[in-house]
Amino acid sequence: MTINRFALTLITVILMGCGSDQDATEALPSIDNTAEVLAFYETHADFFRSGSIDDLPQDLVWEDGAHLPEVGSPDAKKGGTEYVRLADFPRTLRTVGPDSNGSFRPWILDSTSMALAHRHPDTLDYFPGLALRWAVDADSKSVFVELDPKATWSDGVPITADDYRFTFWFFRTRYITAPWYNNWYESQYTGITKYSDHLISISIPELKPDTDSKVLELRPLPQHFYKEVGEDFLERYQWRFAPTTAAYILKDEDLKKGRSVRLTRDPNWWAADKKHWRYRFNIDNIHLMVIRDTAKVFEAFKRGDIDQFGLNLAEFWYEKLPATDPDVAAGYIERKWFFNERPRPPYGLWINTHQPLLDDQNIRLGIQHATNWQLVIDQFFRGDYSRLNTANDGYGPYSHPDIKARAFDIERAVAYFETAGFNQRGPDGILQRADGTRLAFTLSSGYEALKDVLTILKEEAAKAGLEFRVEVLDATAGWKKVQEKQHDIHFSAFGYSLELYPRFWETFHSDNAYDKAFLDTGEINPDRKPKPQTNNLETLAIQQMDDWIIQYRTESSAAAMVTLAHQMSELHHDYASFVPGFYSGFFRLGHWRWIRYPEHFSYKHASGSQEYFVHWVDEAIKTETLAAKDSGVTFPVQLRIFDQHRKTP
Amino acid sequence: MFNFNPQTQKKLARFRKIKLGYYSFIVLSVMLALLAIAELLVNSRALVVQYEGTLYFPTYTDFHPGTDFGLDYAYETNYRDLAAQFDKTASSNWVIMPLVPYNAYENDATDSIMRPEAPNAARQHYLGTDTTSRDILARLVYGTRTALLFAFAFMVSVYLIGIMIGCAMGYFGGLFDLGFQRIIEIWSNIPFLYMVIIVFSVIPAEASIPARITLLLLVMVLFSWTSMTYYMRTETYKEKSRDYVAAARIIGASTQRIIFTHILPNVLSTLVTFMPFTIVSAIAAITALDFLGFGLPVPTPSLGELLKQGTANLRTAPWIVTAAFGTLVLILSLVTFIGEAIRESFDPKQFTLYR
Repeated sequence: MTINRFALTLITVILMGCGSDQDATEALPSIDNTAEVLAFYETHADFFRSGSIDDLPQDLVWEDGAHLPEVGSPDAKKGGTEYVRLADFPRTLRTVGPDSNGSFRPWILDSTSMALAHRHPDTLDYFPGLALRWAVDADSKSVFVELDPKATWSDGVPITADDYRFTFWFFRTRYITAPWYNNWYESQYTGITKYSDHLISISIPELKPDTDSKVLELRPLPQHFYKEVGEDFLERYQWRFAPTTAAYILKDEDLKKGRSVRLTRDPNWWAADKKHWRYRFNIDNIHLMVIRDTAKVFEAFKRGDIDQFGLNLAEFWYEKLPATDPDVAAGYIERKWFFNERPRPPYGLWINTHQPLLDDQNIRLGIQHATNWQLVIDQFFRGDYSRLNTANDGYGPYSHPDIKARAFDIERAVAYFETAGFNQRGPDGILQRADGTRLAFTLSSGYEALKDVLTILKEEAAKAGLEFRVEVLDATAGWKKVQEKQHDIHFSAFGYSLELYPRFWETFHSDNAYDKAFLDTGEINPDRKPKPQTNNLETLAIQQMDDWIIQYRTESSAAAMVTLAHQMSELHHDYASFVPGFYSGFFRLGHWRWIRYPEHFSYKHASGSQEYFVHWVDEAIKTETLAAKDSGVTFPVQLRIFDQHRKTP
Repeated sequence: MFNFNPQTQKKLARFRKIKLGYYSFIVLSVMLALLAIAELLVNSRALVVQYEGTLYFPTYTDFHPGTDFGLDYAYETNYRDLAAQFDKTASSNWVIMPLVPYNAYENDATDSIMRPEAPNAARQHYLGTDTTSRDILARLVYGTRTALLFAFAFMVSVYLIGIMIGCAMGYFGGLFDLGFQRIIEIWSNIPFLYMVIIVFSVIPAEASIPARITLLLLVMVLFSWTSMTYYMRTETYKEKSRDYVAAARIIGASTQRIIFTHILPNVLSTLVTFMPFTIVSAIAAITALDFLGFGLPVPTPSLGELLKQGTANLRTAPWIVTAAFGTLVLILSLVTFIGEAIRESFDPKQFTLYR
């Protein structure tokens, strides 16, 4: 949305004029929400329960994931500094609330901090994090968790059951301005019981095939740090780094606004010797530098200023860093190609069905047939990528086995457009209605690196008489635009986390499309307004879909959920508001020699090589390599392809 | 045609004598003439198609669907394929293609892989192709044309406003002059680049490409006219106090007449010397904006966009940056040479260091 870019620029200009934000935070009145939190527990006594150890069900089957193989390699050396590129400076250090869900958050939350337990990236079973062991009790629809008593926050405060209780208060308050979290924590959990400081149980409304994951993937919040949460939460916590369970901490002086962020390995990290954790997070310092331009990032990598560089794009793998590249041929830079298996980010065109013309299914069907993804895949991605078929591919049985994305077909596209009244070509070959309305839409994207994809689609669509006005925005502005639902058609994808089955509520439920999509009578509300800040990018509101989503949420049998997931995928396919684009069934990486990886390199379900922090920096090799580079000594060429998890289409 | 006064004729003769400037002027004029008819030289549409006894001239007309020439599709005819097909079937039909048979947008990948390809005369990609296999020469030609058109429009607008306001300030003087000077001082302190970026970011995406270009032009003019007023103001002040203006006043000439027929022709020589440099700065500005991604929308061909691609592919496709940079250097030098020559020939002092 352009207004927002305006606002953004303005804010940036204003911010540049500000002195220190730290002073601003200190000037805020002090708050202590302890009483408020306790009062909330009181008024929601059915949710925040306490029990005694004697109340525990007798037949609990405890699991602790101890048998799962280690993550990482025992060869890993601790120490060193890794230099990493950051696409954009974080707009906040909060991990919830507006602007928090950016490309920086994984560094301080998603990829680094600890949950109760984590899925093993090879087997998908859980290995312990903050939990010592856990048990699912089907009768009470609860998961019992014994907390690891050794666990502490990075400031040394022990993590107790109270932090978990507080977490529910936190995510349910309106102070955090995060409706998604409010909804999730209000609807997906029915209670938390504290038995002792280190024994809790958390209940959920319905049993699911992955009941345990709902609970085990919870990450607690430090109550002592968030005791000042109140009306001014967003402002107060904007630039404060919270005590964390992660190996990496961020010191105030390591945050260089607009330029770089430096993470330091916590020497007192409580899990440093814990199984499944001890061979990970090996690097002492992670230095994240803001470099916006991809070409510049690559040059920085070639200079050795950055240690690793993703080579997923064909342009980089074949042209810019081919086997003949001097640094590759001399063995200074190693290349890896790893085929993985996991939910695929749905790269494709999200059509905003709230916009005029795009609410017409025929036009949407026409657009489906007028986008030549196969050409993009074959010629631009050189056949390395594959065509995505639905918005939820890669979920095993939950993904629809038969739906095929509609192929590029000019005749069918034109036929659909004709049904929608676009029956004559204008002087430039773009279809028109009799009243002169042109068949033209804005195709926006925040992926600057993939702008060529859009221009290829544009050229091809013109053959079917459809005009795309390409609008390439920077990442933040692009995402803002779709979050405000101001787009016509947006090219984007979601980063899917590793889950057993896909989510539908976020993207397809009418609650996320409009403030009030349907009247109580069930008819379409004529005054409905698109709801901003949700992931329903299609403004999709179908009552049948809503019903199925609710059923899907409450369903506990895997077979029934599979059926529902297939039904919903079919309905979504028929509605034609998402043009599936492509997915890459692999990731590729180039890295300098001194970055070392375990022998098996990565994991079956990993999304990228850095995700589990199993690599390390070998300072001796770094010295050796830099010296060799000066003296011209070479090493054997390293190109490794790991295709044991490759799926042949 | 023109009836210049002897003074002007003398200046023109002097201009002609400054060889570098004069030849630059000729080269630039030829280039402009060629750019004006670029569609005939660089285009994926054929110049002439003879099909079943009828002659078609598709260059400037509405698009011809493939069905017009017996092909089985309803979208724009691919004339290169058509030519090849006519050749193969040895029919009486024929196609004459332009010198460079590509437009600035189409992807023409050799072995079905889009990547920059080095210049290749056999395939008629005389300057090679860019990252998505688009012809660089085509993109250069159309990009340059837009830039030049833009620069000329910019210059004319800036001068129109600058002359008007500057003359008025100088001629009327007093409070009007004082007031306007302050306004200009404030106005010219608004950072131009930020304003362009901000204003350009709020243009609705629905706006067509020409509309966006016009708007960009408008914004740039809005923040660039001020510098011209200073020169005009002082020149007018100077001329106003001359005897011939006083004489005209005594005869009873109107303000309008004095300004336009007496003062303006006498300050014009100052103006003329500035013109080429205004053009240079306009071209540089639009290229810079494009390079930063705030200029013309994707995928409009432009020098800035090509430069950006070129710098991003310095190692793998040096021909992209060479072409873009070469063009930029050529045009800016030509205009600068012309500018220096004009300055020299319009200078009343005969002895200068420049020659």
